[in-house]
Order: sequence, then structure tokens, then C-alpha cells
Amino acid sequence: MTAQAEAKKSGDSRTGVYVYGILPGDIEIEPGTAGVGDPPGEVRSIRYRDLTALVSDVDLDRPLGRAEDLFTHEELLDSSAAEMAVLPLRFGAVLASDDAVSDELLGPHYDEFTDALRQLEGHAEYVVKGRYVEQTVLGEVLAENPEAAQLGQQISGADPDATRDQRIQLGEIVSNAIEARRQADTRALGDAVADRVTASVVRPPSHELDAVYAAFLVETGKADALRQAVEQLASEWGDRIDLRLIGPLAAYDFVGNAAPAENAGN
Amino acid sequence: MTIATQPGGGNSSRPQPSGLADVIDTILDKGLVIDAYVRVSLVGIELLTIDARIVIASVDTYLRFAEAVNRLDISQEKEGLPGLVGDLEEGGAKHKTKGALEAAGDKLREFTESQTGDREHAGRRSRGRED
Repeated sequence: MTAQAEAKKSGDSRTGVYVYGILPGDIEIEPGTAGVGDPPGEVRSIRYRDLTALVSDVDLDRPLGRAEDLFTHEELLDSSAAEMAVLPLRFGAVLASDDAVSDELLGPHYDEFTDALRQLEGHAEYVVKGRYVEQTVLGEVLAENPEAAQLGQQISGADPDATRDQRIQLGEIVSNAIEARRQADTRALGDAVADRVTASVVRPPSHELDAVYAAFLVETGKADALRQAVEQLASEWGDRIDLRLIGPLAAYDFVGNAAPAENAGN
Repeated sequence: MTIATQPGGGNSSRPQPSGLADVIDTILDKGLVIDAYVRVSLVGIELLTIDARIVIASVDTYLRFAEAVNRLDISQEKEGLPGLVGDLEEGGAKHKTKGALEAAGDKLREFTESQTGDREHAGRRSRGRED
């Protein structure tokens, strides 16, 4: 018996049940699959009618959020999403006990979860992330904007403090120019994949040089077509944008409608 | 149906492994949220969320862009003076590449890089166990 299980048995309330996601039907989990925490709890399932929650025990006295915990959470869900519909929970969902998972999570939201899983069936999420190559995009901005080019010359080799105003002015022009490009390139990405995706979500940029950042819900059968479209776009954009396709992922960006979070705080 | 974690690109249908920054964007920001009243709170998560935010379009961003332009100008001037610099030209080119993308996000990137090693390590451990 593990220390965690013993603690649980003795009524120690410092152990919780970490919930990764919710899946349809009966799920067989490979024995020994490690969950979050240190030491990691073993991943197991909690069944409620025809829903299954993927969970593992966690020690509440140890903070979660190590990089390894984050990867474990996502990889467990993504490897599931490659095979079946899965409702991913946001990192850090911990309930008091197995009963709480059944009675407070799966039970009250059974219909919502079932509907959401039905909608996600046969789909997975893919994320497309592109970043401007700094030198290329800066060169473009200076070439098309005489004011920026002039400011660039003014600050060149000058004392940074003495030219602070010009620097801010130049930086703002660059920032606005990049934002304009971001909007145009995001539209181009949307157009390029439109007939291959079921739904799309534009994510806010996570970096000032982000060119495109969007999540797509894609039918399993159209994943290769999506990949081809993104590869085509990557070759068109050439050395302007470094483009990446990430997936298949669990449908993190498309579970909003099923979210019971609307009741939070009530 | 069997589920197993397949870390570090063990899944051939995954085109590219995602880094820590991608994971943070996804699982700290997206996904179902359990009602606050049934959730047991954990320490150590909120902070990470805040650290992961990168401010867009602030004065800091502007100054950083200006500095990037400054480096760009210097490198172009060097290229415009053939014969004068020689070895320096190569050094300058290296510098401008290395200098790109300094400041904001560096912490996160460093964190990402250092943790990527951990992750690969974890992946090997995990695969070993499956054998």
C-alpha cells in the first residue's frame, strides 16, 4: 500500500483526487501510467454511468505545477484524444475524493458532458503557431515606412537615454506594423485551412513576434489535408514566418460550451 | 481501448513535440474549469500562470523593438563597408542573431529550455518502464 493510500485510509484529508479529463465509455488504462505529483500517483479511472474520469491521487501538501506535471497532464489527454473524444480539464482540478468526482462533477453535469463528447467525437484539436523572423519583419517595416527608417538612423549609435523618445516612437511604429501583419496573416491562415476544419479559435498572441496563433477542431480524416495546407502556407511564407503545427491535442479550445465554470462563485 | 502516455514524440501522429510554453498556453488557460466550490485549492499554480503572461505592446516592447532595429542598422552598415571589417563582419552577424529576442520572455524561454531536458529524461524513463 502506498503512503498516499495509507494516508487516505487513515482519514488524512491532505490527499486529493486530481482530475485530468472526461471520456466516454469504459477506458482501460495501462497499469503503471504515472500521473502528476512527486511521487506521481497512478492514473486510474472513475466511472459514472457511461462517463469515465481520468484521475490520480495527489498529495495536497506539495505544490503542483512543475514542468513535468504540466507535460504529464497534457500528454495523458493528448494521447487519449488521438483515439477518442476527451473533455480536457484545465490544469489543477482537484476534488476531495472519488465520491466527489462522481457526485459533484460527473453527476450534476452528466448531460452537458455527454453532449460535448458527442460533438467532439471523431475530432481532435490542432494548433498552428507562427512567429515572425525578427530580421525579416524589421527589414520589411523599415523598407515600407520612411518615418521608421529615419528614426532608425537617429537612434543608431546614439545614447539610448538621450534618444528614448525616438526609440519609443520607432518601437510603436514597429509594433503597430507587426499587429497589422498579424491580422492579415491570421486571415490568410484561416482562408487556407477553412475547408479542412470544423471550428477555429484565434488565440491571443503569446509573444510580441507571434505571427499567427490559432486552434482548429479537425475531423480525424481531414488531419492530413490540414497538414498539407499548413505545409503549403509555410513554404509560401518562406523566411518571413517560422510555422509549426502542433497536434493532435485534446480539444482544449473547444470545450467552452460544456464548461460548468459559469456557476463559479455563485 | 488502452491509454498510455507517449512522451517526447513517441506518438508518430504528432507532427512536432510541443514545448513547455505551448503546454502552458494550453492547459493553464484552456479546458474545462470545475466549479469553484467543489474544487480543492492547490498552491503553486496561480504564480506560474502569471509568470507565463507576456505583455504585448508596452513601452518595454517598443524599446526592445527599437533596440532590435538599432542592431539591424549596425549590421547593415557593416555590410555596406566592404574591405574595412573583414573578420568583424562575421562577428557582427553572429551578434545580431544572438541579440534577437532579448529581454521579455527570456525567463520563460530559459525555463523552457532547462525543463525540456527534464522532459526528455522523463520520457526515457517512461519508455524504459513500458518495455
